[in-house]
Amino acid sequence: MFEREPNIDVVFRNGLKNLEVLPPTDVWDNIPPMPVRGTRSRVFTGIAAGIAALLTLTLVASWFTRSDSATRSLSEVTLAENGQPPETGQLISSSPVVREVVRAESEGTIPTEIPDYEITITGNGETLMPSLSSTTEINRMGAGNATDDSAAADNITVIAQGLAVNYNAPEELLSSGKSVDGDQRFMVGASMSPSVGFSSSGNDAHISELMSGEKIRPAYTTGLAFGYRISKRITIQSGIGLSSMGQVINGIDVFAGLSDFYAVKSDYLYSVETTSGVIMTGNPDLYLADSKNRVESMIPGNIADPSKYPLTQVGSNIHQVFRYLELPLLIRYKVIDRSIDLNFSGGMSYGLLVDNFAYTKSGSDMIPIGHTAGVNMHSLSSQIGLGMEYNVSGRFTFNVEPVFRYYVTPFNDLSGTLYRPYSFGLFSGFFYKF
Amino acid sequence: MHKVKDIIDGCLSGSRRDQELLYRRYAPKLYAVCLQYSGNTEEARDVLQEGFIKIFENLGRYSHEGSFEGWMRRIIVNTALEKYRSRYYLTRVDDIDGVAEPVADPDTDDFAGLEAVDLLNMIMELPPKYRMVFNLYAIEGYSHKEIGTMMNISEGTSKSNLSRARDILQKKVMILTGVTRRMINV
Repeated sequence: MFEREPNIDVVFRNGLKNLEVLPPTDVWDNIPPMPVRGTRSRVFTGIAAGIAALLTLTLVASWFTRSDSATRSLSEVTLAENGQPPETGQLISSSPVVREVVRAESEGTIPTEIPDYEITITGNGETLMPSLSSTTEINRMGAGNATDDSAAADNITVIAQGLAVNYNAPEELLSSGKSVDGDQRFMVGASMSPSVGFSSSGNDAHISELMSGEKIRPAYTTGLAFGYRISKRITIQSGIGLSSMGQVINGIDVFAGLSDFYAVKSDYLYSVETTSGVIMTGNPDLYLADSKNRVESMIPGNIADPSKYPLTQVGSNIHQVFRYLELPLLIRYKVIDRSIDLNFSGGMSYGLLVDNFAYTKSGSDMIPIGHTAGVNMHSLSSQIGLGMEYNVSGRFTFNVEPVFRYYVTPFNDLSGTLYRPYSFGLFSGFFYKF
Repeated sequence: MHKVKDIIDGCLSGSRRDQELLYRRYAPKLYAVCLQYSGNTEEARDVLQEGFIKIFENLGRYSHEGSFEGWMRRIIVNTALEKYRSRYYLTRVDDIDGVAEPVADPDTDDFAGLEAVDLLNMIMELPPKYRMVFNLYAIEGYSHKEIGTMMNISEGTSKSNLSRARDILQKKVMILTGVTRRMINV
């Protein structure tokens, strides 16, 4: 049988149905930002990509180094076995095809410079030429015979297939080569790197709309760099630097004088949505307005309407500035060792947010507005570069290096997109070697 | 006015602004629920805060099929239940109570002058276990079996607690509205 519901239940249910009670104001402040979906996986993927890039770079570098030392030791072994160059066609070892271009510079001792090897061919007697097999081709460009002391060869092309190329070279030169920059293993210097960042809005129309009202501020990194050369070609580099980046939000009208009309009851009266996060205005004297619905007022509409107050406009845009303390860790690999060296670099850089502020410009005055909420305190970026190093003197070098950087961590957990994840910079600096 | 779906999507994409919009829109109603279950403002504040954290964390699981407000309310109620369990579970001493003599059930018209705040205060003044059972049964519509499972009590205890809660509330209501006097006179 149907049991009638007591009236007391009905009274309470209906009576409380639409009841609303304003919660204490600090509850919202204690609710942390909701993490963006997929952020963690994106971070891990980025870190993995960075590590993979570093590993690849290291492997490639070590492969070059190994093949260099392998050929060199092979020559040493050949010399050690009989003290003479091997007979023509003598098979020493099965090795990959080796192709080298040797430039003979003068009669007698012919110093050679080969990109990957540091080999000197002496011109004393018959040892000027390497012992070559039947599959070896000698292409001499220029006059004279290489075996003739009076003749100087301009170019000697040696192609040895399946054989070791053997030079009658002093062992100490083979083992040390030209890399003998003495013991200059350390380097220290100052650097400056202007850069420009690029954003990706994906397919998010809202982000695209926000981006259309924003303009990138010039970014730069300055700092000190330290390096240690662990081998002839590989250098580990670190340092400490300060980087600054940001953007200008256009179309936001900023008015001063609000505090004369409205007593502040909240820390933040306005918020401004941007692609890098939400600017929270901490300046109680400012009233913000825009036509793109980016500004949100925390002032209840039924309490005050600042748009009706006689306020003074002091700006029409907002500058967002973020500064990071950067600690990079890079590996440099020297590809070409000349008076202007060419080297690849790759590595990671950790950034600690040390400054986060927003302001508007009124003439030459900077009027502080507030800060951007939720910006990550820590950032991690991976970077690769192709640099040129000019040897100004024996100990001083000047570096110029275009650098591509990818930010592994999101700029702001609150933003649905990675803020300027890519950047191109031009690293330049003076270094002192010792 | 922003659409709820847009706000939810904004929250899911990590927009703090949308999270705040969502909070500002629903917090007053959900805070009333928290007070209903908690009995004091301190505990209600904790429940609201923890509840909203869960709401944001689980927003991606909302299927857009049922009422969004109802979905949030369930999370808040469950949070209040967890709080109750952690706070009162070990101090429970009188689960097995006899069913109280029912007080005459007054007509709903007799409560017409009562404000919602009065009703809320009455519920908040109930002993915790009576308050929980009354809320879950009379307001949320759970069965005694479900309440027993949720509160880790027997079905009989749930009925008993409900009966006592009704009894107390009816008396309070009558005192407040003068219904007792009128009923006696009748």
